[in-house]
Amino acid sequence: MTTIDRPNDLPADPHGGDHHDEGSYLTPKGGFWAVIWDWCTTVDHKKLGIMYLVAVLFLFFLGGISAMAVRLELWEPVRTLDQVVLLEDGTEATETITTGQLFKSGEGTDIAAGNNIYNRLFTLHGAIMTFMVIIPSIPAALGNFFLPIMLGAKDVAFPRLNLMSWWIYVIGSVFAVGSILLGGVDTGWTFYTPYSTTTDGYWNVLLMVGGAFILGFSSILTGLNFIVTVHKLRAPGMGWFDMPLFIWALYATAIIQVLATPVIGITLLLLIFERVFNVGIFDPAMGGDPVLFQHFFWFYSHPVVYVMILPGFGVISELIAVHAHKRLFGYRALAFASLGIAAVSFLVWGHHMFTSQGEVTAVIFSALTFLVAIPTAIKVFNWIATLYKSSISINTPMLYSYYFLFLFIIGGLTGLPLASLATDLHLHDSYFVVAHFHYVMMGSTIIAFIAGIHHWWPKMFGRMYNERWGMVGATLVFVGFNVTFFTQFFLGTRGMPRRYASYVDEFQLLHQISTVGSWILLLGFLVHLFVFLHSLISGPKAPPNPWGGLTLEWETESPPIEHNFHHEPLVKHGPYDFDEVHPPHCDPAEYPIPEPALGGKSH
Amino acid sequence: MAINLTTISAPALSGVTNTLGEGFWHNLFFRDNPNHPDGFIADGLFMFLWWLGVVWFVLLMGLATYWLIKYRRRPGVPAQRSASHNTPLEIAWTVIPTLILVVIFVWGFRGYMRFHIAESGGEEITLVANMWNWDLTYPNGQKSNLLTEEDLGADKRPVFVVPVDTPISLRMTSQDVIHSFWVPDFRVKLDVFPNRYSTYWFRATEVGDHWIFCAEYCGDQHSEMAAILRVVEPADYAQFLVDGGQDFATIPPAQAGQILSSSKGCVACHASTEAAGTGPGWAGTYGYEVRFTDGTSQIRDANYIRESILTPSVHIVEGYGNNMTPYAGVLTEDEINYLIAYIQSLSDKAPKSVFEVPGEGDGESGEGSETEDVEVDDMTQAETAEDTIAQTETAEIPGG
Repeated sequence: MTTIDRPNDLPADPHGGDHHDEGSYLTPKGGFWAVIWDWCTTVDHKKLGIMYLVAVLFLFFLGGISAMAVRLELWEPVRTLDQVVLLEDGTEATETITTGQLFKSGEGTDIAAGNNIYNRLFTLHGAIMTFMVIIPSIPAALGNFFLPIMLGAKDVAFPRLNLMSWWIYVIGSVFAVGSILLGGVDTGWTFYTPYSTTTDGYWNVLLMVGGAFILGFSSILTGLNFIVTVHKLRAPGMGWFDMPLFIWALYATAIIQVLATPVIGITLLLLIFERVFNVGIFDPAMGGDPVLFQHFFWFYSHPVVYVMILPGFGVISELIAVHAHKRLFGYRALAFASLGIAAVSFLVWGHHMFTSQGEVTAVIFSALTFLVAIPTAIKVFNWIATLYKSSISINTPMLYSYYFLFLFIIGGLTGLPLASLATDLHLHDSYFVVAHFHYVMMGSTIIAFIAGIHHWWPKMFGRMYNERWGMVGATLVFVGFNVTFFTQFFLGTRGMPRRYASYVDEFQLLHQISTVGSWILLLGFLVHLFVFLHSLISGPKAPPNPWGGLTLEWETESPPIEHNFHHEPLVKHGPYDFDEVHPPHCDPAEYPIPEPALGGKSH
Repeated sequence: MAINLTTISAPALSGVTNTLGEGFWHNLFFRDNPNHPDGFIADGLFMFLWWLGVVWFVLLMGLATYWLIKYRRRPGVPAQRSASHNTPLEIAWTVIPTLILVVIFVWGFRGYMRFHIAESGGEEITLVANMWNWDLTYPNGQKSNLLTEEDLGADKRPVFVVPVDTPISLRMTSQDVIHSFWVPDFRVKLDVFPNRYSTYWFRATEVGDHWIFCAEYCGDQHSEMAAILRVVEPADYAQFLVDGGQDFATIPPAQAGQILSSSKGCVACHASTEAAGTGPGWAGTYGYEVRFTDGTSQIRDANYIRESILTPSVHIVEGYGNNMTPYAGVLTEDEINYLIAYIQSLSDKAPKSVFEVPGEGDGESGEGSETEDVEVDDMTQAETAEDTIAQTETAEIPGG
């Protein structure tokens, strides 16, 4: 722990109340249009974070609606039946009808047209949720807002670049949403060739792929910005190992973003080239290799799995420490595990192709994949060990942290039969995989994201939310999630392939249970939406430090002033020294220090 | 070197495998025992991982929940002081999972190599996948003429016959996009690529029917790309190799054509009714005039149907796109004739001969006599066709 004595020329408490000339970052400047212009051209990382948050939540809604539609379509399998109908002239005729298709584009027996709508819906769901929701969720929304504040900085290192990242994100999303307006894409979010280069909807596919290409630049620039900010803008007194673990996680994430994203950019560009100029790269009909695309695609998309999950780890580390009021167990192990996962993440892409490649590569990738399990397991052990002899507040963020542990342990353990070669040959591309990655992507990342929104909500908007209803929403989400996705493990082992618009009758009961689960999930999210709206409209004013946190964002006002801090903060204690210092702006009696106090440490 | 490693056998592995790979918990996850000698390794490993997962999950969440109750926050009471790291503990929880992971890897690797190394002395069957159908050609050039009796999914699907307890290698390739050949009861799938072979090996241990699914997303009717793999006694297989399960020469041409329209994948785009799909429905087309996208028109006669099958892009029916794969070189002359007969049978201008078993009845009229007027109303004909098809060998669909 670094301790620095405060220079004499600064007031004892830099936020003691002398400097109230500066308003909160949310204070409107001028009239309606002036405010709109201000938000569109702002270089304030907090406003950009809020805009990302709103955009991500809106797209989460869009992707969620398409998921609900996908689950509804699977309520009943598609069947063609012969039925006798009475014609107008009194004679009988046999007519073939199609049943079980919720979404149909025409009359008659054409199964393909109905399936095509289903295929567009799951592609939409996958593309939106990965490229536009999960990847930017925690880093771009919460990261943008809190990375500079937690480092004690006024802003990120390159504020204008940050604004550019935001607008690139908007343009990329407009491209992708534009392809939906043109009728959507049926390639699946993975764009596997040669299907993606030969399917109809020329412009739709180009726009969607182009959108993903553009979104990549936003990701790279944000990552670059974060790396430089972490290196150069830490407050005086904050060494590398005084950084909150959320920052470590974002730092590891940013490294992956900068190194891996260019590969998907090039790959998608090659895909566009093949489609537009008929250059044979991936399509065997033109002399290309379709498996090459899979290698390129997963060389990015596997590391990106860790772009999605690492920030979630960071959020959970913060939440467990703050709400258990306890020093994190194994701080350095947690920090190095983040970097270790980031490094190994580049070496495991081949495990998406155990059924499509040679034996030797499959064996190597299987072995490397198991390596990822080790640092990941260490993280879980550290979080749980932190709870020992702690003081656990039960509120929405902590409840969500427990749900995170529950779901992430399941998500991690079900990764083992997928990493293991003999079992993956059966489970690959089945509902088992679908269930597994939803436990990791949604059950872990999205849960951590929503937990983080609750945790930092008072700081971002200056208002408290209703704790009771927050916990009701969290529990509905948790129950709904498990009903929806735990059933899918059984569907997978019993032989249900993924991306099927229909299925054999035997699977119907499990599909219906899963669909009912998706309704509970929706209800949970609606409760959250109302809790947030209620808080914005009539929530009680938030104190600067409602949870008793020790990281720097709790030292400034809620919501923070435009330049975050009145004076550059000086770091006098580590981020989790709950057993050494009283949290700022809190009643010391409420957060006493355990006896006996450690000798020699000042606070 | 990779091959030699497969001989490593974890102690008592087979015993563990057999104990885990059956019983209540196994039946919760799997519909049945694997019908593949190496499937037992996969199932045993899966169930081992399940119990390993249960133990870790209960241990970790149990501790977390116990501490949640024991250490819940009381106002004004701080967290107790405890060590923030403990080197022996941290080394232990790094090394122990690593050792477990090594065991899992070796077990999975061993099972994988068993799945991949074919037993010698079996049959090689070629498989061609296309959107959205499987097509198997047996060593003597025979193809399956069998369809399921009941619907498998939305429709009747092809049945492929293999002998029990015989090693079979499927040499697979695709005519269009990537597919993946999956028999869940064998616990193995393998991707099927255009312009490349992949070899799927299995030895079915018991007689019975098994689902074949496509596991790699391949477009609109991906979920309809199912079939049945029927495992039979060697004697039945020998008979199958002679007649493909059903001798087309002994059934009416229209019925043979209907089976082909399903096994060759025509039904994916062409309905047997007048309903429009990706392509026109077939009912009531034969003998009637049709307009093309280029503005010309023509009577749909046998020549037109033949042209539409072999070189479909020559004339595109008004209101449709140029979407069909040319079947030139794919179908034999006999198969084309059967398909023409089936399409004819769906029109009230059908020649009578298409409903009759060759050699029986008065089959005077040849295939080309499209102008002949038949005085049977089309409903009766359609029912006749349905009845004869109902006599097709019964296929018990697993779990259907």
